[in-house]
Amino acid sequence: MIEVPKQTAAIFEILSKGQFISSNSSDEAIRKYYSVIEDGENFDLLFNYFNAINFQLERGDEFYYFSRKETKIDLERKIEQALKWIDIIDFFKTFDNSFGSGFRFTPSEVLVRLNVDAELKSKLEGLKRYSGGKDKFLDIIEKILEDLRKDRFVELENEISNQFKVLASFKYLEQLIMTINISAEIKDEIPE
Amino acid sequence: MVREHKLLTEMFEKRKTLSYKYDFALELVEYNEDRLHFLINYSVIRQNGNFLEIDDQFLQFFEQVLEVNEEINVGSINNNIQQVKENILYYLKENNENRRYEYLRKVKNALRKIGNVTLRNVVDLKRNINNTFKNEPNYSVKKAKLENHDRKRSDINILIEQTYKLISEEEQTFFKTAQDEELNRIITYLKLQLNECRHNLIEIQKQIIEFLNQIKYQSGVIEKIRQLKYLRDQFTIRAATDIDAILQQQDVLVFETNPTYPLKLSLDHLQSDADAFNSIDKVSKKIRSAAKVKLPLAGTINSQYLEPAEIEEFQINLEEVRNSFLASGNNLFDFIQGYHFDKHLSFEEKVTVYCQMISLYGSYFNLTEQYHQQMEVEYAMVYPQ
Repeated sequence: MIEVPKQTAAIFEILSKGQFISSNSSDEAIRKYYSVIEDGENFDLLFNYFNAINFQLERGDEFYYFSRKETKIDLERKIEQALKWIDIIDFFKTFDNSFGSGFRFTPSEVLVRLNVDAELKSKLEGLKRYSGGKDKFLDIIEKILEDLRKDRFVELENEISNQFKVLASFKYLEQLIMTINISAEIKDEIPE
Repeated sequence: MVREHKLLTEMFEKRKTLSYKYDFALELVEYNEDRLHFLINYSVIRQNGNFLEIDDQFLQFFEQVLEVNEEINVGSINNNIQQVKENILYYLKENNENRRYEYLRKVKNALRKIGNVTLRNVVDLKRNINNTFKNEPNYSVKKAKLENHDRKRSDINILIEQTYKLISEEEQTFFKTAQDEELNRIITYLKLQLNECRHNLIEIQKQIIEFLNQIKYQSGVIEKIRQLKYLRDQFTIRAATDIDAILQQQDVLVFETNPTYPLKLSLDHLQSDADAFNSIDKVSKKIRSAAKVKLPLAGTINSQYLEPAEIEEFQINLEEVRNSFLASGNNLFDFIQGYHFDKHLSFEEKVTVYCQMISLYGSYFNLTEQYHQQMEVEYAMVYPQ
């Protein structure tokens, strides 16, 4: 019997839902879990422990997550998911170039920018397909944020001011984007 | 100047906005245009159409004294080094003791300045780098600015090395001959300052590299996402990129729909736990309310069916017959033959009643072994007990 940290169950609970544990979460419990995994030999210990039940504990840049070798999910669904992320990241990077880990914003800030940025507005309209039939701009933004929040890429830092914070796990998405290669001849055809 | 300090303070605070209106200034000098013209004539303030600004020389002076300048001026260190060199040269050639002392004083002054200016520059540089990284919204400008700051950093570094060389290698004759207590102190202090600057510069260099890398990474991400988004909008992303292969390798859980683990509940727990009972209660309520379906209405009933129709049925109250029989002294068969029923009964029906009476209430009666016969029916003599 391996001795594992007492937070192991809670950690499993989060990671097994496909969520991330980020170092810069404002939730104290999550930060605690992060430091527990990071602490000393715990990573190896937990890696072996979870590996025994077919989950691979993966270490990212300031975040942890699970992967699973024999995944039951088909490629089409992954592509669909990745394309959705591309749309969403493109939208937020248009909103602010520095949108990334540690970035703070409120949905109403995004809303204000829509009035002066036609490009942003048209991109948000493109995101309507993910909003589940909602038409209002604020509703669409909130639906997207809800989706990102469920996977713990962002979190609601301040409920009163409705302020969101981008977590370290967002780097996973950026890295995923960066690993996709565009074939050279097509790259030249993309307008600046 | 002292009299106008209110105006100058106000203008200095607003120096970044670049548009200080003549009329505002007029208010602060109590609407006395002469006072403004006085400042303008002495070039403390410059008038530019309808706007006023503090003269650049004064502005720089204020900024330097208040240590808020944003421009890093490497030239002044260089000047000071030159000054030190020149004055050392004069000192060595001069024979007059008084004038030599004058040159020595100048050297000390310049050395003191070098230390302070360098340190100030380093602090400014650090602050500027941070400001640029955090506040500059345009990526290419940000990058260019940081690269410029990096150049300034290496300039300062070179000057520090030059100063160091100057005081510890080049002018050994002077420093040996001067033999001045204060000079030694200044030099020691200068070395300390320069050392501090060096350490700070190393840190600054690290920071610039990190910032530049972050910018490079960020702009890389932005560039990539823009390209991918373009291809995605053209519906060619799968053909034009290796997204299929990349995602094939990705077996991260986040791609999967949130799994649920439907475990069966422990029966022991359900039977013994109070909370579990509450839950069951809740669930059962939920189910009940969910089962409230609209019942289909039946068709109207034909009014004919609702009209009253009477059917009479005759029944013999056997209980009453028994009670009367028990009160009489007659045998049962004759009693029934003579009993006055509400309806006329035939002989056979009366025989049936006789049988029913015996089978129901046999225990109340005295069944004898004597038999009589009437109309081909043989019956036992039965008396009340």
